[in-house]
Amino acid sequence: MYYFDHSATTPVHSDVLDLMHSIQKDVYGNPSSVHSQGRKARSLIETARKQVAKAIGTIPNQIIFTSGGTEANNQVFWSLLNQNNIHVVSDTIEHPAVLKVLSEMEPHGIDYDLVTVNKNGRISIEDIESEIQENTGLISIMLANNEMGTIQPIKEIVALARENNILVHSDAVQCLGKMPLDVNDLGVDYLSLSAHKFYGPKGIGILYFKNKDSLSSLMIGGGQEIGLRAGTENIASIAGMGLAAELVTNQLDHHINELASFEAHFKSELKTIFPNAIFNGDANNKLPGLVCVSFPGYRSDILMAKLDRANFAVSSGSACGTGNVKPSRVLSEMGVNDETNISTLRFSFGASNTSEQVDLLLFELKTILTG
Amino acid sequence: MGHITVGMSGGVDSAVAASILVEQGHDIEGLFMKNWEEDSEYCNAEEDYKDALQVCDTLDIPLRSVNFAKEYWDRVFQHFLDEYRSGRTPNPDILCNTEIKFKEFLNFAKDLGADKIATGHYAKIECRNSEYRLLKGKDKNKDQSYFLYMLSHNPLSRSEFPLGDLDKKDVRNIAKNAGLPTADKKDSTGICFVGEQNFKQFLERYLPANPGNIISLDHKKVGTHSGLMYYTIGQRKGLGIGGGHSDLSDPWYVVGKDMVKNNLIVCQGKDNPSLYYEKIIATQLHWISKFKPDNDKELAAKIRYRQKDQFCNIEMLNNNSAIISFQKPVFAAAPGQSIVFYNDDVCLGGGIIEPYVN
Repeated sequence: MYYFDHSATTPVHSDVLDLMHSIQKDVYGNPSSVHSQGRKARSLIETARKQVAKAIGTIPNQIIFTSGGTEANNQVFWSLLNQNNIHVVSDTIEHPAVLKVLSEMEPHGIDYDLVTVNKNGRISIEDIESEIQENTGLISIMLANNEMGTIQPIKEIVALARENNILVHSDAVQCLGKMPLDVNDLGVDYLSLSAHKFYGPKGIGILYFKNKDSLSSLMIGGGQEIGLRAGTENIASIAGMGLAAELVTNQLDHHINELASFEAHFKSELKTIFPNAIFNGDANNKLPGLVCVSFPGYRSDILMAKLDRANFAVSSGSACGTGNVKPSRVLSEMGVNDETNISTLRFSFGASNTSEQVDLLLFELKTILTG
Repeated sequence: MGHITVGMSGGVDSAVAASILVEQGHDIEGLFMKNWEEDSEYCNAEEDYKDALQVCDTLDIPLRSVNFAKEYWDRVFQHFLDEYRSGRTPNPDILCNTEIKFKEFLNFAKDLGADKIATGHYAKIECRNSEYRLLKGKDKNKDQSYFLYMLSHNPLSRSEFPLGDLDKKDVRNIAKNAGLPTADKKDSTGICFVGEQNFKQFLERYLPANPGNIISLDHKKVGTHSGLMYYTIGQRKGLGIGGGHSDLSDPWYVVGKDMVKNNLIVCQGKDNPSLYYEKIIATQLHWISKFKPDNDKELAAKIRYRQKDQFCNIEMLNNNSAIISFQKPVFAAAPGQSIVFYNDDVCLGGGIIEPYVN
């Protein structure tokens, strides 16, 4: 299997797997217990918290563990119900784990406006400014998009928000390991991450917060995670995420360079094979290694099936419950017409790839597109 | 050996069709087709997809997915609504085969690189002197050739029906022995997109109901109906006619519809001659091969799925229509339904039933 779908999820790093395996086997204590087994479990969790905190430039007590990015986003939004300012500004290319939450919350009294993006998928500060109302309590903008990798001007958004006493949340699940990530530098009040996007396990993530008082718990129970996320901790996954965060940030420069070189090589060769290829996204502000490309005249589901048959995993648009590929909402928002939209594939490179694999992928694409 | 795309519905039949082809050593891929948009109340597409996925996983073949909801809506469902609006009884499954399964699906499979498609239909395809013929399936209780009579040479030449020589119980056994996860899954019934839900409620969402009177053959009002579209010729259940309208205790049957006066016309007793048709007109005739019937040719025919063969004579009116005279009058020939002709096991083609007016 040649895997080029790292933006969907990543394979778990072997060191992470080993650690998780040994924890599942040997550390069965409840972290809330005071005996040696419990203390061991607690210690593993707090080590992981330090590792993740360090990876995003913060201190451990500003992080809680969640089941992933979706839950972290939900917690930020649902907490608004206990706030006074319940208007939200977000944008039209957010993940459903933001957009669907907002629309679901509307009957509960939450009000929101979405800014649009330009043809490269970038948001403008002016657009956000014009949506700010007196009761705007939160601006939620993803740090980088999952479909074409465009990075948003979060620092500028934060500066604007500060002037208006508005909090800022950023869904950053695509970013750790692909760009420097420092919550203090960004200045955000909340940030969501998911371990399976950076070679950690699935089903675990974090919510970073600047101030815990603004948050409420979605899970009520035993008071774990400083009362913000009840339920006995998923020790092995938490520890796995901690190690994964540490590994990916230790290797950050190397990893970014490698992704950028895969991307550059892939794009230039693809342009030779198929000169009509359209690269979507913002070439100057994007995550490395994520290539969203349209093949005018082709259907992405057919291309994907042919690549799958040759054992290449890529992705396309957003697949629904029955596996159909629909035009991508994100690309539509960028003004891509339906025909080009459904001809689009996403190739996302990662640590499991080699340049030989990228060449094999190019060769297969050449066979499919010109054969 | 060629590459075959199997239409996977998530049911047991298509699963076994795929399993047989895998056993035979063919290069197989599954393709799940979605023809109806998300509608949890009426459609189980997502559940069916999961079943199809598990079947393909068991067989170790890939599963693709394609959405023809728009094509189905435009070319099958609109016609279906038009027919109901006119008080007729359409058969969307036949149109779905011609317009979707053996056209769009087939073309998509071809684009995926398939030489042929296969489905879990109970029917057979035979090639004789480079002419493709459609035959009844071995299991006469399950035979689905009735739904396939509108196919022509080209789709038949590119299709396979691996279940044609099997009985349903064999199919269940094969599924069990192969460990297919849908081995015990209940057969689907009814029109695919309606599922087993209340048909009346379904139709109500798309067509305005226009209530009117139920009139007996001797022009007496015997009740009220909730809209002519909800009834079909020969229907007995759901008329809601209580006693006191007649001395007879026999049940009431729908014999006709007066679209102008919005009356539903009924009679009493299943033996009532008004329910039996000696002649009908068949229109939109389609013949599968080069076969063209001679006038007065004796043929076997079915005017509904799973009916026993009815013998009839055909008198061509023009290229597209004919008068069909039954040797024994047939019960409840409903306009809009299909009449399908056979010569023994060979399905010759068919047409749409229209009333014969002397």
